[in-house]
Amino acid sequence: MKDKLKECIKWLKSKGVDYADCRYVRREAENIRTANGNVEMLSRDLDVGVGIRVLASGSWGFAATAVLTSVDLKKTANKALQVAKASAMTQREKVVLADEKPHVDYYKSPCKKDPFRIPTDEKLNLLIGLTEDLKKVKKIRRAEASMDFFKTNKIFVSTDGAEIEQDIIESGGGFEALAFHGKEAHRRSYPNSFRGDYACRGYEFIEEMDLPSHTERIANEAVQLLSAKPCPDTHSDIIICGSQMALQVHESCGHPIELDRVLGTEISLAGGSFMTIDKLNKLKYGSDIVNITADATIKGAFGSFGYDDEGVKAQRKPIIKNGKFVGYLTSRETGPIVKKKSNGTMRASGWNRIPLIRMTNINLEPGKWELDDLIADTKKGIFFGPNKSWSIDDKRLNFQFGGECAWEIKNGKLGQMYKNPVYTGITPEFWNSCDAICNKNHWHVWGVPNCGKGEPMQSMHVAHGTAPARFRNIKVGVSK
Amino acid sequence: MIGKQKLIAHLKKALAYSKADDTEIVFIGSESGLTRYANSAIHQNVFENNCKIYVRTAVGKKVGVASTNSLNAQSLRKTIDNSLEIAQNQPDNPLYIGLAKPAKYKSMKTFDAGTAKFTPRDRAKVVKKIISVADKKNFTLAGAFATSSGEIAIVNSNGVKAYQPTTSASINMIAMSDTSSGYAAALSRRVNDIDFDMLANRAVDKCEMSLNPISIEPGTYEIILEPAAAASLLEWMNYIGMGSKSFQEKTSFLAGKIGKKVTSEMISIYDNSLDEKSIGFPFDFEGVPKKKVNIIQKGIAKGVVYDRMSGPKDKKKSTGHALTPNESNEGALGLNLVISPGKAKRDKMIEKVKKGILITRFHYINGFIDTPNAVMTGMTRDGTFLIEKGNIKGGIKNLRFTDAMLRAFATTVAISRETELVESWWDAVGCIKAPTIHLKKFKFTGKTEF
Repeated sequence: MKDKLKECIKWLKSKGVDYADCRYVRREAENIRTANGNVEMLSRDLDVGVGIRVLASGSWGFAATAVLTSVDLKKTANKALQVAKASAMTQREKVVLADEKPHVDYYKSPCKKDPFRIPTDEKLNLLIGLTEDLKKVKKIRRAEASMDFFKTNKIFVSTDGAEIEQDIIESGGGFEALAFHGKEAHRRSYPNSFRGDYACRGYEFIEEMDLPSHTERIANEAVQLLSAKPCPDTHSDIIICGSQMALQVHESCGHPIELDRVLGTEISLAGGSFMTIDKLNKLKYGSDIVNITADATIKGAFGSFGYDDEGVKAQRKPIIKNGKFVGYLTSRETGPIVKKKSNGTMRASGWNRIPLIRMTNINLEPGKWELDDLIADTKKGIFFGPNKSWSIDDKRLNFQFGGECAWEIKNGKLGQMYKNPVYTGITPEFWNSCDAICNKNHWHVWGVPNCGKGEPMQSMHVAHGTAPARFRNIKVGVSK
Repeated sequence: MIGKQKLIAHLKKALAYSKADDTEIVFIGSESGLTRYANSAIHQNVFENNCKIYVRTAVGKKVGVASTNSLNAQSLRKTIDNSLEIAQNQPDNPLYIGLAKPAKYKSMKTFDAGTAKFTPRDRAKVVKKIISVADKKNFTLAGAFATSSGEIAIVNSNGVKAYQPTTSASINMIAMSDTSSGYAAALSRRVNDIDFDMLANRAVDKCEMSLNPISIEPGTYEIILEPAAAASLLEWMNYIGMGSKSFQEKTSFLAGKIGKKVTSEMISIYDNSLDEKSIGFPFDFEGVPKKKVNIIQKGIAKGVVYDRMSGPKDKKKSTGHALTPNESNEGALGLNLVISPGKAKRDKMIEKVKKGILITRFHYINGFIDTPNAVMTGMTRDGTFLIEKGNIKGGIKNLRFTDAMLRAFATTVAISRETELVESWWDAVGCIKAPTIHLKKFKFTGKTEF
């Protein structure tokens, strides 16, 4: 395949393009869903194709095909060239790319146990067992468990001379219990809501989660929610659990630092950003203890890779340093606008999509607190559990998150459970109210499998390293 | 486009190869182009030639699903083998009741040659023209313009043979100033039916009307929901409560309420894929003929949509709303929802508002807060206006709503005669048709700084 791609590149060079890259992607996926002791879905998918990106006359064109003969690839290359020429009809400024060393390399993600070689029986027995265990608790109406596995082979070649091959294996899974009685229905999940946790690792990641040992507690908590009091409408100090912190970072920091959004090129769908270029190195984004990094080099994390889809090597870069906003996620096209090279965040969800600036592992760096000490240090407050709902405005300022559950904190101890908890805020005010972050013992990189962006829509795999953190005087509830 | 005869023959050949008790093949193929523009220039422009082929096989009640994006005979055989291997290696699925039987489908014109032939250059010409409309006011324009042609085919070992060619064209645009923005959008089977100039002017007018917005305090207000705003609320209501899974799990706001009044009697909501002016087609992904299904009729909850797996549990037959085989565990969903029009005119509706808010569209709605009560939250964007004494006074800064939708729709005052087709999450195979709706009470719980 690499030779066919190189042929396309050679042909595009002969047409005098400014730049071009060809990307072959072959992805196998396996998806297993069980419910109430039965298999509801077991599916495997194979998706193969080539995407060709052309910069000609200063404008971009992209074409993609699933038909991989040399003739069809050349036709597709020509289509991409024609699309670029059409784009140039509205051109205001020519696209210029930052220099990048043309890497020739191979990258493989860490994997001890290939999930595609694990017997189907073993995976099914684990998932069926989880749902049977959950159902043992009275009032659990529905128990669901799932696993997803992905195996991706990518070959990237460019007119700059890059030749990069990558093999990436991803695994994830989790379970949830739905309790129902009267007019109440509540879910609890483990290890995270919306399908669990994910990593760029093999089946060993599933085993290490030790899912069976958490079913009883989670099922009982779902039942407890049926009789729990509603979360009060008030202003309160809150401690947010690690997985909800991951979504908080994702929505209120990860998205607004994507430089393409900042420059307005995502406005028609996902919106813009309040973190405009004039705020770089000036905005006090958060309190002094808030340090956020973009780090695609964390071994085995779901937002890790060897090279992005522009052939730029994975990097670790500061985003928020001691509360100050110091960096964006950039591409070869946008980096020069902030006088930087690309920091390697251009990724496409598949062969048939163009690369966009996407989050890698966007991490809230760990603080100093043990969780027990932090709770003990909180006289009156609320501890928020995993996410149930999320919403944020199109500039990423006004957000509202709902949790599956929360617990009262009274005199430094966890108290009664609350149902339907919600907290809301304005992004910089919120992060400036952060006065404590738990330490590395509580820090975990949470995989997020469904970060949506772009038209046509691209669902991307990203991750967030977070630990529980405390925020002072936050609006909780929505009635007042 | 492969064409009906050739495609069906190819898929039937693959069926004959299968050794499973039951085999179903679903083919969805398309050629699509999307031109994205921002800061008044095209910045992303893409073309894709692709397909997805799902194979569902069953051995007794053991069911496996495999899929590929390659139509060549060898890949299809490999996918069938893969599906069969999955089926053989798992326990029975008690919900499986076999595959659909042959049926007659409504003849529908869902293909437009003009849309299928529309080139990237044609799209660029349109974009250039609408940008010039915004240029006149010194506003920038951003949006996306997509055209596609495709074909859907379903065959199974019971003799089902369904085929439908489709096209679609959609555009959205946001005109932007330093302090405001205005949105317009359209969706049609026929690209030449879209009035691009009118849409550009609508976006520009909204941007101009909302210049220098003022801030108002959150609270309960009368609102006018324009079609895009109304459709996005319905999209979430559908997802959390109008499909068989949520209904049977009792997380739906309709659970236990069939036959009861749930909204104002002015509200009727139904799913109808059989409208040629919509983006539906006459069968579902199991090859079952689609039926029009009333969900809420004159305020009374009537029911939800079903597929073959979920129907028997409620002693219902499939209504023709199965999703693709890889999503069959999600139950059935309506992909072509309609809010019935009323008799009012938009301008007259605004005239009747003493103090209220006109909402062009919402951003980032979420409906998972409390699904049995259909509580949702979201932000306004791209054209939010204060109405006082029947007149639009100007733009206001964006607000967050958090409210229970059945309660909000219980306060319906008027619904417009005109409806618009609005893109939905299922844009290739579905859409929402919505009117403008006047609600007496809608709760805003927060505001933002722009």
